[in-house]
Amino acid sequence: MTEPTGERIAALRSYVREAGRELRAIGLEIDRDPEAIDRWLGLPAVDIMRGCTIPAEYLDSPLRVGAYTYDMSSCLEHTVTIEELSYGDTGSMLACPGPLMSGVAVSALGDDKQRHHYYERMAGPEPVWTFFGLTEPAKGSAATELETTLVPEGDGFRLTGEKRYVGNAAYARLGVVFCRRAPGPLGIEAVLVDTQAPGFHAEPIPTVGMRGARISAIRLDGVRVEREHILGYDSLKPSRRGLIGAIRTLQRFRPVLAGTIVGLCRAVLDHVREQRPALAGGARARLEDLEDRLTAVRRQNYEVAAAIDAGRVRADRVAGVKTRAAELAERCTLAAADLMGPGALLEDPLLNKLYRDARAFEFMEGTGHIQRLAVFQGVLKRTFLN
Amino acid sequence: MDTATTTSPAAAGLRDFATALDACHDRAASGGLVVSRGGWAVASPARVTAGAQVPGSSGALMAERGGTPAGDRRQEAFADELIGLHRQTLREVLDGAVARLDRRVSEGANLLNRQLVQGAVADVALALSEADDLRELPMSTPWRRWRIHRDLVNAGRTALKLYGAGGFVAGGPGTVLYLTEVLGNTYLRPEQPGPEAGDD
Ligand SMILES: Cc1cc2nc3c(=O)[nH]c(=O)nc-3n(C[C@H](O)[C@H](O)[C@H](O)COP(=O)(O)OP(=O)(O)OC[C@H]3O[C@@H](n4cnc5c(N)ncnc54)[C@H](O)[C@@H]3O)c2cc1C
Repeated sequence: MTEPTGERIAALRSYVREAGRELRAIGLEIDRDPEAIDRWLGLPAVDIMRGCTIPAEYLDSPLRVGAYTYDMSSCLEHTVTIEELSYGDTGSMLACPGPLMSGVAVSALGDDKQRHHYYERMAGPEPVWTFFGLTEPAKGSAATELETTLVPEGDGFRLTGEKRYVGNAAYARLGVVFCRRAPGPLGIEAVLVDTQAPGFHAEPIPTVGMRGARISAIRLDGVRVEREHILGYDSLKPSRRGLIGAIRTLQRFRPVLAGTIVGLCRAVLDHVREQRPALAGGARARLEDLEDRLTAVRRQNYEVAAAIDAGRVRADRVAGVKTRAAELAERCTLAAADLMGPGALLEDPLLNKLYRDARAFEFMEGTGHIQRLAVFQGVLKRTFLN
Repeated sequence: MDTATTTSPAAAGLRDFATALDACHDRAASGGLVVSRGGWAVASPARVTAGAQVPGSSGALMAERGGTPAGDRRQEAFADELIGLHRQTLREVLDGAVARLDRRVSEGANLLNRQLVQGAVADVALALSEADDLRELPMSTPWRRWRIHRDLVNAGRTALKLYGAGGFVAGGPGTVLYLTEVLGNTYLRPEQPGPEAGDD
């Protein structure tokens, strides 16, 4: 697949690309002050982010382009959408209100009532930021060993622990927290938490780049959790919820993240072409090489996303495409700084921002080492290579 | 080459990095400030009072444009200083990563026991050792300095990954290494696209 074809996806891409342009215009402002997103909540891009993965019947004005309606339940459409918004500006896209990963988790794990509740809340008139809280200060890659506890109390539970590097948590009204109800991987649960509940504290962590992601540290001091807030508690067996839900969410979301990365890479390489139209010789060949690699990883990503839509989640390929894209983002930005010449990182604010932002991808949704381990499993099982 | 005189910037934080950079300026141009061939001066706010903060530096460095570029001898002396600072910074970042991973436990063992992690640590150490050897060679050229810088940048990226997202937090190892990259782009990148423009 070069580019997903068909009128439906072409119409989506061209609409979202337009909306993404406005994110480009606010990107540097959000980088300086991530809270400035509050001044831009009327942008069409924000509406798109607010509606992503929410079923159309809940929304007053779902995303409609021509004859088509989109709710991003398709991983491929979601991926294309996020790629185009990220081409505009990744940080601003991540600073937007909306379901982001929490929506995918609720959809994968929640029962009908929980989903209904969540979608109603997200579809209300006020913008709602959400978070997906998995990483902990002592347990990042080792998510199966997470230590945040969910302890029974009366007819409910108390949630105690810490989360770290969680996007938007300090600004969110609602989020999914992964926690431990019992020892072992099957003892993990995903709970929906209202950030106004007593005992919930979160504060932003300043970062080198991707400041719009507004990663935050969360402290949970005995937050009260009702049984109906445990995702899938009454509808799924313990072996099908909690950790399995986290893994399913991450796998469904990884092509979307790879799309985010592809969008940033495209922005970088287009910027170099615009600013240095006369590149020649080795410099031009270097740019062309990166463009080829970008086209190749983008194609692979569409394939992975389309396979997910067809019900085939290939963990090794999902991991491979994310890693290739993340490494390409670093190469593109390093090359761009080089090709633009001495002083470019000080002279060109957009380049400087993209250069800093690109470094986030290594860590988002699992490091390169962890993805490599999944690729290795695919080599062993003979599923990774054709 | 003697790096013992350079302060330990990554360990002591951003402000010390800025102080160490100012000391590089002093050694290259006594009491002064080296302006790059492109007209930029980058130093601590104590040294560069006009201009603007270097983006992403958390205010630790300022950059000002418009000064008279230093002569070749000073440029070269400063370039050697910057590579020494970069090398020392990376060494500190690597040591910090090893210490951190030694305290991080997964499946009952610390992360330093993972072979992928060990390989990454070794790659950074190999790059540092090669950079030392290259710096010892006689008759340094701007392109050789640039290549050493670029190798240190790549090794720095590898080292930083070992911190997990901690390497992305402002003011930490990610910021100091980012600043070494900005300094290299500003002062070490040869003006003319050379024969190696096609390199990564
Ligand atoms: C911009 C940004 C946004 C983020 N958003 C979120 C979010 O919304 N929600 C959330 O929960 N988290 C989020 N994260 C956190 C991210 O998921 C974690 O940083 C990541 O999972 C790695 O965990 P860690 O940082 O603790 O690194 P660690 O797990 O401590 O890793 C340290 C080093 O050890 C290596 N390592 C670890 N285990 C192994 C192993 N078994 N084998 C080989 N090597 C290993 C790693 O590759 C790395 O090099 C975000 C991070 C960033 C930077």
